[in-house]
Amino acid sequence: MIRRSFTAVIARNEKWTGEVATEPYECAWAGEAILFLRALATTGNPRGARARVQISPDGIHWVDEGTSVAMPAKVGQLTYCRVTHFGGYLRLAAKIPPRASIKVLVTLSLKE
Amino acid sequence: MENVVQAIRHADPRLGKFDPLRRIIYYDDFDEGYNGWIGLIGNYEGTLDTMLPGYAQYQQPMLSPVTMWDTGSHGAHDGTYSLKTATRPVKGAQNVSIKRVTFRHAGAIQVECYFTFKPEASELQLSELDVRSAGVLLDLQDAEGGSRRVMPHVRYLNALDGKAMAKWQYKKTAVPIQKIGTSGKTISHYHLVPEDWEDVPGGTQKLCYNEIPTKINWHYLKIGFELKEMRFLAFQCNDRVFDTSRMAPLIIPAMANLWCMLNLAFFVETDVDKRAFFFVDSVLVSGEF
Repeated sequence: MIRRSFTAVIARNEKWTGEVATEPYECAWAGEAILFLRALATTGNPRGARARVQISPDGIHWVDEGTSVAMPAKVGQLTYCRVTHFGGYLRLAAKIPPRASIKVLVTLSLKE
Repeated sequence: MENVVQAIRHADPRLGKFDPLRRIIYYDDFDEGYNGWIGLIGNYEGTLDTMLPGYAQYQQPMLSPVTMWDTGSHGAHDGTYSLKTATRPVKGAQNVSIKRVTFRHAGAIQVECYFTFKPEASELQLSELDVRSAGVLLDLQDAEGGSRRVMPHVRYLNALDGKAMAKWQYKKTAVPIQKIGTSGKTISHYHLVPEDWEDVPGGTQKLCYNEIPTKINWHYLKIGFELKEMRFLAFQCNDRVFDTSRMAPLIIPAMANLWCMLNLAFFVETDVDKRAFFFVDSVLVSGEF
């Protein structure tokens, strides 16, 4: 049996500033995931910003999973992180430095 | 022969709860995967910034075990997973999931599914008026040489601005088509605007919301449509069979690259600053050919 997979763009052309998070994504069927982050536009100086993978028992309450990833700070830059054993829900939370913004494309690649 | 086919279908625990027409075009059980269901995306050209705002809010569907904070996974109508379409937590937010195929015969088709909708259970309140609406639309176009793009819309208006509505509606009025970009090849129209919904005659119906926001019940829905005459043939939810004689689809001029299009979409809208969820499991589309 071929392993099933699905790729979901969970943030598309969203301008991130300050404290932000993606919408929850339910993916209990998947055993592994890669989150890709690409910057479509930036303002100010977003260098050094990081995003954290978060997990949840119910899609309402969230806790850091322990994995973090650098936010792409230049247009076209791509960053990623890998996670496994994440239960039923995933999201990405980030903190963007003051007076900076990143317009992001966040892609969640899931596989059984 | 037809009796034999019907008997075989009725004996199949997966198909026995449906009443398909002669040919099954697709049957989607979400324990098997996404089955081609994806988030609707608005048209754009050159930059994503050209997408109409209504479309920019849309998110991808999920395969959900319908997990609740107080009990755990509710599960699907069959097995574990259903297709979940979720809005953002902003009053009036909408989301749409779609499957795109084409038709091989311009005759009768029928959409059947089992569905339920719920608000995110983020408050310990009944929350029965938090979901504004949930619905189904077809996006169709005549075979090559025809003139019509046809979009039958049906929705259950659950609540509006905090008031219970509990009625089925359809939409036949188009919105202006807008140019996207500069090439002259790309256009868009946001047809899920709040205006111009019309009541289905006799279309009030109370559904089984249940007693708290973490209990769900699945409902049966059937929509029949004729692809040559482009008119409704049937509309049923659970035990209620509605009169379709005065229901009409939204019709706009045919577009350059959509011949024989047969798209099916599920949409949901929240009435409060809370996510609204629309679950479907399973979906069967059949045709008379």
